[in-house]
Amino acid sequence: MSVTRVVGLLREPARPRRRTAGYVIAIAGPALLVLVLRPFRENLQTLTIGFAFLIVVVAAAAVGRLGPGILASFLGFIVFNFFFLPPYDSFVIARAEHVVALFVFLGLSVLISALLARAVERADAAESREAELRTLQELSRDLVIQGPGEETYRALLEHLVQSFAFEAGALLLQTEGAGLVEKISVGAPPGTLSASWNPADPGRPPERLPLSVGNRNLGLIVLSGPRPPLSASESRVLRAVCDQLALVLERDRLLRTATDAEIFRQTDSVRRNMLAAVSHDLRSPLAVIKASVTDLMDPEVDRTDAERGEVLHTIDAETDRLDALVANLLDMSRMEAGVLEARPESVDLGELATSEIDSACARWPAIRLDAEIDVEHSMVEADPVFLARVLSNLLDNAAKAAIRTGRLGVEVRVGRHGDGVAVRVIDHGDGLDPVAREQLFYPFYRLEERTSKLGSGLGLAIARGFVDMMGGELWVEDTPGGGATFAFSLPAAEVR
Amino acid sequence: MTRILVVDDEAQIRTALARALDARGYEVDAAADGQDALDQAAVHPPDLVVLDLNMPVMGGLEVTRRLRTWTTVPILVLSVRDEEPDKIAALDLGADDYLTKPFGVGELLARVRALLRRIDASTEKAPPVFRLGTVEIDMEAHRVSKDGADVHLTKTEWALLDSFVGASGKLLTHRWLLEHVWGDGYGDDVEVLRVFVSQLRRKIEPDPQRPQAIVTEPGVGYRWSLRPRERT
Repeated sequence: MSVTRVVGLLREPARPRRRTAGYVIAIAGPALLVLVLRPFRENLQTLTIGFAFLIVVVAAAAVGRLGPGILASFLGFIVFNFFFLPPYDSFVIARAEHVVALFVFLGLSVLISALLARAVERADAAESREAELRTLQELSRDLVIQGPGEETYRALLEHLVQSFAFEAGALLLQTEGAGLVEKISVGAPPGTLSASWNPADPGRPPERLPLSVGNRNLGLIVLSGPRPPLSASESRVLRAVCDQLALVLERDRLLRTATDAEIFRQTDSVRRNMLAAVSHDLRSPLAVIKASVTDLMDPEVDRTDAERGEVLHTIDAETDRLDALVANLLDMSRMEAGVLEARPESVDLGELATSEIDSACARWPAIRLDAEIDVEHSMVEADPVFLARVLSNLLDNAAKAAIRTGRLGVEVRVGRHGDGVAVRVIDHGDGLDPVAREQLFYPFYRLEERTSKLGSGLGLAIARGFVDMMGGELWVEDTPGGGATFAFSLPAAEVR
Repeated sequence: MTRILVVDDEAQIRTALARALDARGYEVDAAADGQDALDQAAVHPPDLVVLDLNMPVMGGLEVTRRLRTWTTVPILVLSVRDEEPDKIAALDLGADDYLTKPFGVGELLARVRALLRRIDASTEKAPPVFRLGTVEIDMEAHRVSKDGADVHLTKTEWALLDSFVGASGKLLTHRWLLEHVWGDGYGDDVEVLRVFVSQLRRKIEPDPQRPQAIVTEPGVGYRWSLRPRERT
């Protein structure tokens, strides 16, 4: 058992009380020894009695440190001499040998008191440092484990208030423009622990701990409560915690700045991509129209009516393409601006699908469109205008995939799906690889720099947006045997 | 018969261009992507290529680069307005001219004719003679005269004039001209080129403010647009 450990056992009560206890031992100990040993004093060896007094000295010094130790030494010296060295009950010492023993006792006990007091002091310091470190470590763990955020700051503040026996605490952060703003308060209603303290207020001023990194001031921690002023070691711990908190705050701030910059950069690149794509997609039909019209206008070329009809047909088709694109762009921007609103009503999905399929057949004469509609389950709660746009966009998408690959069959199935109704538009094109599937509905993200074409992405994004707004779901599946199946579900209409 | 290869990934544009060119007596091949274009050009060497820049997989830039490894066939690049850097890169790689979509058929035909004429002109043996108002330029005699009096051209001005005349109708980028006349490493000194072009214009253009011989293509380069005169 090490000295510190023994001392640790002895040294339980708080400091001032311990000191008093030490003095009690230093006074009561010798008295008790007199009471107990006096009847046997003639039979006991001087050495034995001396050891008994030494025990009292050790106990007094261990409990109360140097003061009680020295007191016990001198009291022991006097009492030993008076009661236990012949002639008894007088300060006269008969034998020279006893004089030596008495002074050896005094020297020894003073020495032991001093040594013991130092050891105990050291153990105390070690323990309080350990406590300091423990507090610090617990607080930093809060910061590290919980990561940045209001919750973490609150937990940390609560921990601080608790471990330092404060009553209330607040975290104030330096903001741009508004100066110091209270972010979190613990143990007191928000706003009551203001940064400034009125000297007229009762009690002690609150502790104000600045949070700063380098010479950048980030804010303030204010702690208040009826407790004695902070000791040097408490200040040290608090300072360390504040420094750590400041670092975390600074890291958060930098992280936010970085995220903002990243978002800005992405928005910017999305906008650039979108502009490029829109310009390309608008110009392509325009280019065909312009070339065809100027071709027709040339008086030097002789054309048959059939040839002229063919050119006019091209112009007509390209005008439709342009119109569809402009409609999609408008829808997209309205959707993003949040000005579109679904007006759901009972709609016969079967009927609407049939009419959309008919007009898709007119747009894509090459495509073979088959429909399979469960007429028992085709009433849905939907906005008919949105629904028509969703259907025509999905049909166009399937038609494009079909034309690209030459596998011209496209099927549409309408039927029950859980509590609602689902529509499946099935093509047998090339299908989608997983990456393409991920990016499918983000028309402007998926664009590569070199081939900035919206293609079908815009139409699909709009379809999904509309379905979402109608409370349905849109997803994509693989067509068995190859190709993509775009499906969406809508809530069934309530039976009236 | 003059054979033109039209390369565009958009079927509608291919069809419209093919129809327009076909109606004017050109024989038209069409290719839907870069690889197809290279294959067709190798099998049926065209007299001119109309090439879209923006195509998936292999874009027009790459097609230009590959064509130029083995043929000097005129290449007319089609682009949309915001593909400026690509357009210049294509010209630097050896494309001859560009058109911005959308364009009229009349403009397309004019460019096509100009490029085809250059091919004809370059097969003629004798260097050409140009006349513009009272200015006469005789490349063979190495002589420029204005109102009957000789005009002195510096060595660099002659080199510049020679570059223009040698690539008549072709759109020459700043970089090409700088490297051709001044040499490698001068490619970015657009200011130098500008100064010399304006000097040359003062000597050979009747009205240097409204140049007719050396026409500016803003942001891209210059084009020699004077047709040579018959020798008398």
